[in-house]
Amino acid sequence: MARSIWKGPFVDGYLLKKAETSRASGRNEVIKTWSRRSTILPQFVGLTFGVYNGRKFIPVLITEDMIGHKMGEFSPTRTYLGHTADKKARRV
Amino acid sequence: MSETSPELIFVGAITGARGLKGEVRIKSFTADPKGISGYGDVFEENGATSYSIQVVGQSKGQVFARLGGVEDRTAAEALKGTRLYVPKAALPEPADDEFYFSDLVGLKADLVDGGKLGFVKEVHDFGAGAILEVTGGDLGVVMVPFTRAVVPTVDTKGGRVVIDPPPGLLEPAEPEAME
Repeated sequence: MARSIWKGPFVDGYLLKKAETSRASGRNEVIKTWSRRSTILPQFVGLTFGVYNGRKFIPVLITEDMIGHKMGEFSPTRTYLGHTADKKARRV
Repeated sequence: MSETSPELIFVGAITGARGLKGEVRIKSFTADPKGISGYGDVFEENGATSYSIQVVGQSKGQVFARLGGVEDRTAAEALKGTRLYVPKAALPEPADDEFYFSDLVGLKADLVDGGKLGFVKEVHDFGAGAILEVTGGDLGVVMVPFTRAVVPTVDTKGGRVVIDPPPGLLEPAEPEAME
């Protein structure tokens, strides 16, 4: 069953505080967190989180498209070593 | 990694035969699975045997293709397990600020202050942009977001990237207080 609308999105309070502190300071720092369950909110856009995957912190630069998803979706916990082939990386 | 030599790029592997007319099933590793046919002939690992390739279908993460000179199922079955490569020169030049993963792997990673961080072991993309996995330095494994701010210099010819780590990237994490 989907989460009730009246509750609003779930975010761990301590993560919200960290994000607000970081945004207020204006420093472009990596906010390391274990809170994979937190929903990505609009006020997180532009911040970079380090989301723990059980072994290391995966940097996640939040963009508008990620709003509503959970932090953990961008930090996989299982290793899949694919092949590079013709894949390209774009610097943003 | 995916390459056996600097000139050949591993793009797929033949997993079996399909039908009676010599079509093969290929597990494709290209960004678009059907794109495996977009770089001209494919080569075996030895670089000497080549096949023309024509993709005829796609299903469950695999593509179906006809290879030049493979006319029946027996010939197709004999190719099971063959790894397919394309010459690196066949890949188009990337756009500005775009880099092939294979060009980034192996580059030395230096810090802006002159320190050494190690080398780029892997490049990942988990849906939040490209990430360089840097290892081999005193800090162990470091995951670095591939952005202009954090990686201001990429010198593939010189074999190095320069990393300007934002605060918190290289430092250990502070414990989070549960509420």
